[in-house]
Amino acid sequence: MLRENPVLARELLVNLRSSRSFLFQLVYVALLGVVVYAAWPIEREGLTQVSAGAAQSLFELFFYGQFVLIALVAPAFAAGSISGEKERKTYELLLSSPLQPSEILIGKLLSALTYLVLLILSSLPLMLLCFLLGGILLSEIVRAYLILVLAAGTFGLISVACSAYFHRTSAALVVSYLVILPLALVVVYLTRNAAPETRDFVAIALLPPWCLAIWTMVAVVVSRRLLHPPDVGSEGRAVVDEEEEMKNAIGVIIDRDLFPDKLFAPPKRTDLMPDGTNPVLDKELRSEIFSQGTLMLRLVIQVSMLLSIPLMAIQLFFRPEWTAYYVGYVLVFNLLVGPVFSAGSITQERERKTLSLLLTTLLLPGQIVWAKLLASLRVSTVLTFLLTEQLLLAYVLIGDLQQQFWTLLIFLAIIAVTCAVTTSVGLFCSALSRRTVVAMVLTYLLLLLLFVVPIGVERFLTNFTEIGVERLSALTVTSPFAAALSVPLTVSSPDLGLTASERPAPPLVDPIGWPIWAVYLVLGPLLALALNVMTAWIFRLRWWHAGATL
Amino acid sequence: MIEVRNFTKRYGDFLAVDDLSFTIPEGEIFGFIGPNGAGKSTTIRFLATLLQPTSGSAYVCGHSVVHDPMAVRRVIGFMPDDFGVYDGMKVWEFLDFFAVAYQIPRAYRKKIIGEVLELLDLTSKRDDYVNGLSRGMKQRLCLGKTLVHNPPVLILDEPASGLDPRARVEIKSLLTELRAMKKTILISSHILSELADFCTTIGIIERGRLLAAGSIQEIQKQLRTHRVLKVGLVGEDVPRALAMLRAEPAVQHVESYDHTITCEFQGEDGDKARLLHRLIAAGVSVHTFTEVELSLEEVFMMITKGVVN
Repeated sequence: MLRENPVLARELLVNLRSSRSFLFQLVYVALLGVVVYAAWPIEREGLTQVSAGAAQSLFELFFYGQFVLIALVAPAFAAGSISGEKERKTYELLLSSPLQPSEILIGKLLSALTYLVLLILSSLPLMLLCFLLGGILLSEIVRAYLILVLAAGTFGLISVACSAYFHRTSAALVVSYLVILPLALVVVYLTRNAAPETRDFVAIALLPPWCLAIWTMVAVVVSRRLLHPPDVGSEGRAVVDEEEEMKNAIGVIIDRDLFPDKLFAPPKRTDLMPDGTNPVLDKELRSEIFSQGTLMLRLVIQVSMLLSIPLMAIQLFFRPEWTAYYVGYVLVFNLLVGPVFSAGSITQERERKTLSLLLTTLLLPGQIVWAKLLASLRVSTVLTFLLTEQLLLAYVLIGDLQQQFWTLLIFLAIIAVTCAVTTSVGLFCSALSRRTVVAMVLTYLLLLLLFVVPIGVERFLTNFTEIGVERLSALTVTSPFAAALSVPLTVSSPDLGLTASERPAPPLVDPIGWPIWAVYLVLGPLLALALNVMTAWIFRLRWWHAGATL
Repeated sequence: MIEVRNFTKRYGDFLAVDDLSFTIPEGEIFGFIGPNGAGKSTTIRFLATLLQPTSGSAYVCGHSVVHDPMAVRRVIGFMPDDFGVYDGMKVWEFLDFFAVAYQIPRAYRKKIIGEVLELLDLTSKRDDYVNGLSRGMKQRLCLGKTLVHNPPVLILDEPASGLDPRARVEIKSLLTELRAMKKTILISSHILSELADFCTTIGIIERGRLLAAGSIQEIQKQLRTHRVLKVGLVGEDVPRALAMLRAEPAVQHVESYDHTITCEFQGEDGDKARLLHRLIAAGVSVHTFTEVELSLEEVFMMITKGVVN
């Protein structure tokens, strides 16, 4: 079944023969090597003691680093595997072949994961180097890799399943992330700070059977769907009839006439546009923004709203000092959902072959880019700010927070700036890429590089070097998470009795002496502006007058 | 109205269009014919201001395609060969969208959209979603989109490709109406019969070079040196006539079928008369001696075969 699986063979051939994949692996191993080299204990007295601690931290860094990498990269590889066939219109050719649905599924899954597993395994020699330092059991390493491979399989399969369900790769990608990220958080929570016995129990007794059960279930459901696909043929299905959908919808529906929906989805026009309207903006807001599929959007809103309720409860009643972490949740939501609307906005015109229609009108490139930016920014901002109502509630109900009302304004400003940054990065990547999938993955990568990686690097350098805190905090000024955490908030916790005076004050950024949030609030808008200017420039350069690539 | 001067386009090593020049006067319907990959779409995209030339220039209504694309966009209606439609948009919204994009004031838009829908016979589909339309209707709608700003020049890339015969006839009758509206039209196709009875002039392009341009009659005249003769004979004269014709230096590709011989003949009318005379003088009983009128298809085949340089 595996040896003669044409799906697997084709994908492996296409993916692995590119020099890009080899280069990427080289860079990956080199980077890991640099990390180990930087963290390698220097020869001095009491070496064993020091090196055991260093080895332990290195080991954890490797494990969590790679775990997060898998959670982020597996969907990027796998979420396009079947929806990509639909987009390229090769899906029906594939289904009408004598291949078993399970063969297609396995081919797609393995090919998506081979490279990822290859990456993980290539870190093994470096991990064993840490083993030489002592302080780590071999069984721990085996356990770690077992979890990593299980995670790769599970996340990959979830992504392939999403890919089988959605027509568009972008929708599959976002929903995969929505399912996978909470799962990943749970695993991190279960393995972190736990006694070795608990970890062993989780890794050996708990995870494998669960994974196996999930795999089987998903595989059966997806195979069945591939055998009797409800989503091939009939061009008419492309029509999203909102009225019809509303009748059959369960849960959240989008009603363009009601608040707050009309904030991001203005009612459909019943008459012609007034003079001076930017037609692209009007089109995006009234017709197109939900072309990604209202199903996906509803799912996103529902999941995040549901999640926000227990989080709010925790924040309100148990840990009011965790306000910044709740803001972090809102930021993660925006990080995930923001790019959906902007990263496809230019590439989709290309993929749908409407770009040449648009370009031969009298619209200027600036107008087109501006409209795309405004439309996606509006939707992303409104959706994100819907989640801040819990925050407002906390500021109304909790006395400590009431007295520091100005910090709410800073939090809201951080969220607003983040909305602008995520949308701008998405649009920038959309102007840069040829395909929506590429634009989305690129957007997520860039945003991680801006938002998350600096925090990781800062933590790493704090642990393994002696550079000052102020100097290091300068690294994290592009991260809204670091910004939110740097907002000075004095809240006494009801159960811990901990006050802010006992917590170290957040560092001021070294050269200018501002807190991180202030630097972020200045830097973020500048970054967004610069990105948008570049987007307009790239759009002009690349699409304007360049029909050859259309 | 449309003038292309020495247009050349290279993609890396590949020469897509090689030194192309032609002119289309006002009110003409110019059929752009060529096999797939000949460079038709490249030329059309260049004229539609979507492509920078490697060298050369073009003018539409006197505006330079290279230096003043905005002015050119104002006077052309462009229909690409492969186009899509927006999601979640109704037919009238689609037309309104492009009308606004062409800066048409609201006061005129209602009337124009009504007229365009009428012309395209889409009035009953006014409130349907564009994505739900059949391919033929989408094609008509896109043609309608090119008309909202009432441009004097229409550039249509394969407007009837992929349509069923009925939809093709409908597009054809639409184009005839547009011709009556005195528009200058550049239309490309690889289906020859589609253009034959419809275009006033044609241009034949292959491998990036314009092989012939002009009215169909003119092109046929260019082919004069390669006339096809059809000779009908009576009785047992066929082998003798065959031998005679094969011996003639001006005659090539002699083929016989039943009692009819076809051959290619090089020469003027006088030479043709002398050939007939020789046949009759030799006692061959000729009952028909005619020159075959070439259809557009045959002209095309002969030209692209390299018969004519």
